[in-house]
Amino acid sequence: MRVKLTLCLVGIIALLVAGNPLVIAGDLDPFLGAKGTLRIAGGTAHIPVMKEAAKRIMRMNRNIKITIAGGGSGLGIKQAGEGLVDIGDSGRKATEDEIKRYGLKMFKFAIDGIAIVVNPENPLIRMKKSEIIDIFSGKLNNWKELGWKDRETNVYTRDASSGTRKVFWKKALKKGEIAKTANFVKSHGAMKSAISRDPYGIGFISVGYLDDTVAPVSLDGVFPTLENVRKGNYKISRGLYMNTKGEPSELTRFFIDYLLSKEGQKIVAEKGFIVVKQ
Amino acid sequence: MRPSIEKLVEKGFLLSTLLSASITIFILSFMFLFSLPLFKGGKIVEFLRLGWNPYEGNFGVFPMMVGTVIIASFAILIATPFGIGCSALISVFSQRRFGRFLRKLVEFMTGIPTVVYSFVAIFLLVPLIREIFQKGTGMCVLSASIMLALLILPTIVLFLTDAFNSVPKNYLNAAEALGATPVQKLIYVIIPSAWKGIISGLVLAAGRAVGDTLISLMIAGDALQIPKGLSDAARTLTAHIALIIASDYESPEFKSIFVCGLILFVFTMLIVLALRLLGYFEILRER
Amino acid sequence: MNRLTEYGITIFSWITGIILIGAIGVLLSFLLYKGIPALNPSMIFGETRALDALLLRKAVVDGLFPAIAGTILLIITSIIWAIPIGVASGIYLAEYCNVRWKPLFNFLLDVLAGIPSILVGLFGFAISIFLHRHLSEHIYPCFLISSLALACLVLPYIIRTTEQSLTNLPFSIKTTGLALGASRLQNILFILIPYNLSSIISGIILAIGRCAEDTAVIMLTGVVAMAGIPTSVLSQYEAIPFYIFYISSDYNSQEELMKGFGASIILLGICVFLFTLSNILKRKVAIRFATHT
Repeated sequence: MRVKLTLCLVGIIALLVAGNPLVIAGDLDPFLGAKGTLRIAGGTAHIPVMKEAAKRIMRMNRNIKITIAGGGSGLGIKQAGEGLVDIGDSGRKATEDEIKRYGLKMFKFAIDGIAIVVNPENPLIRMKKSEIIDIFSGKLNNWKELGWKDRETNVYTRDASSGTRKVFWKKALKKGEIAKTANFVKSHGAMKSAISRDPYGIGFISVGYLDDTVAPVSLDGVFPTLENVRKGNYKISRGLYMNTKGEPSELTRFFIDYLLSKEGQKIVAEKGFIVVKQ
Repeated sequence: MRPSIEKLVEKGFLLSTLLSASITIFILSFMFLFSLPLFKGGKIVEFLRLGWNPYEGNFGVFPMMVGTVIIASFAILIATPFGIGCSALISVFSQRRFGRFLRKLVEFMTGIPTVVYSFVAIFLLVPLIREIFQKGTGMCVLSASIMLALLILPTIVLFLTDAFNSVPKNYLNAAEALGATPVQKLIYVIIPSAWKGIISGLVLAAGRAVGDTLISLMIAGDALQIPKGLSDAARTLTAHIALIIASDYESPEFKSIFVCGLILFVFTMLIVLALRLLGYFEILRER
Repeated sequence: MNRLTEYGITIFSWITGIILIGAIGVLLSFLLYKGIPALNPSMIFGETRALDALLLRKAVVDGLFPAIAGTILLIITSIIWAIPIGVASGIYLAEYCNVRWKPLFNFLLDVLAGIPSILVGLFGFAISIFLHRHLSEHIYPCFLISSLALACLVLPYIIRTTEQSLTNLPFSIKTTGLALGASRLQNILFILIPYNLSSIISGIILAIGRCAEDTAVIMLTGVVAMAGIPTSVLSQYEAIPFYIFYISSDYNSQEELMKGFGASIILLGICVFLFTLSNILKRKVAIRFATHT
């Protein structure tokens, strides 16, 4: 009888311990005693992941404040390099020049594809690379040339700081021109909402941002799905990086480790990107 | 109060004024300071002439200047007849109640934040314009001009109504004695004698139209081209500054925004001078 | 000009009036239609309980509370800079200024009043870069710079209203105190200013409204999309107008968009309230003058 009671007690205690999040070696543990402000800025593709991570951290410890700004990869790298932010997000690798000038350290935390998107009303979701190059340069400027309505193509592109745009320009457009008539949008979210509101629009966003308000386009037969990006079939992809100037400080280190931890990488997957650590 | 303390306080007043007045000078000097590198290189001329093409190394702001001029001009073109019509309605034509209501409405409009105008326009006006033109994204010169006109209308109307009301009463009485109808009073008496006030109101509104950022940033499409028609997307100097701030800061692109700032500053000075000539400030101070 | 043209002009005026009323009506009803459904406590506080958020016990991460707090704090700090300098300058210009210098001051202040808000923001940004390079590595666009820049923006409003109200005072009011032996300063501080309080306050309220709604200045001097409540003057912050701007292009779901509409209604409400208050005060003053001489 006593043995049974003891066993029950042990069982209950074990359950309590197992169920209590503070007792398990949680990925958020390092943040428990910390305090300070963490400034993050840069690539807009990273924002959903950053926001979710920040939410969880700030909820757990109110002495930590995390500020997140957009601005594009170029801005992220510059600001990290100048010491204006602790972590500069970028959707492209920093150039040799940038690394040398600022002494940057790069931390890759996700892999992402760049999908060409059109409005869900647009039936042309299979395109050839040459067609894409022509559409974005303005040579092909009416949808009827591809078999749809007689309406002009509305090209949307990103501002100069955007890492997404740089990678897209290099890998998809083969460094071709982007039409002067293209509308500029400032971020991923802006691109997505612009295309979802414009039936005749075409643009490019991170695969992680895809949802049913926009329609992804297959390039030479390959659709920009996570599988295709992971396997390497869809070639337009890039890593998502966190950049710091030199060795990261304590709080920064915690954050970077958190994103690379199991919980952090789960957030990455939830938001639609490909994890770097299993 | 002891005289010495009084002297101190009075000196304090003087210092405040010097501080306030020098802010303007500081703004000018900072703009100049930061755009100096461009002046030195002698690049300033091509800067004002060429288009913006980072790939070719051109960082000219000419398309942006054209964008500003076109959007602002159209806005004024739209707003002026509306402004004159509404002011006429308020001060001359309608019965007292409706006139007062309209005036209250216009005063209410002055309180509407610019960002709210643009926010609503994105969802209401832009799709409409897109369907009307049957081409383009709907974010173009016309959409921006329409919203801008709405923004500057209160300025025009309130200014004009004040100008209309300050026409000497005996002129109006004389006209009425001669049998003039309200319309005739408006055309032959009020407008001619209030023309200074009318022009001042328009100039002020023009200043506001050129200086506005959000409407053109959010609704005009921010394209880098020189707009050739109403349905073309365009970018203004102000939107350009906002867009570029969000990116680098050592590159020539960055220094270019300070030149934009300089251009806007010069424009403001010209407007102020124009208003001075029109005696706007005399009228305001007398009131 | 014949009868027909004159009728035409009348009709034209009526049409413009009606179109204007229609346009504003459409704007407002659309805003209310989309925004009112979103107005509930969770829009402001997100998933945190209201009490926890207000007592700063827990951070609010997906609600408007930080933006609202940011705007309020911004208004308060900017006004703290602007009121003393503005009122003092207005007094100086109205009472003490030498006729030789007046045109210069007037010109400079009029230019300041006319400067586009983004230029003021650019100025603030330039200052922060300048300080960053020459003073301290830790200075970057932040709350402090924003409030200083906003103060520069609204200074002309306060100066103008103060100056005008003082110069427009009836002669009798201006001189009675002096006749009774008060010094110039005593006259100003104890008689003229209290008499004019409504005007001056209407100018201050106008300035407050301007601070609440301005987006261009704060965009360039430190406002960001997510920052929580500002804990120090050198930190970044959120604000309502920037939230609306940001949501308009970056919304990820219909709920976020609705929050944008809700925020627009809140901002509209605040600004309209302030501007109307300012106008009422101005009118009260005008009535008083009309019955005075």
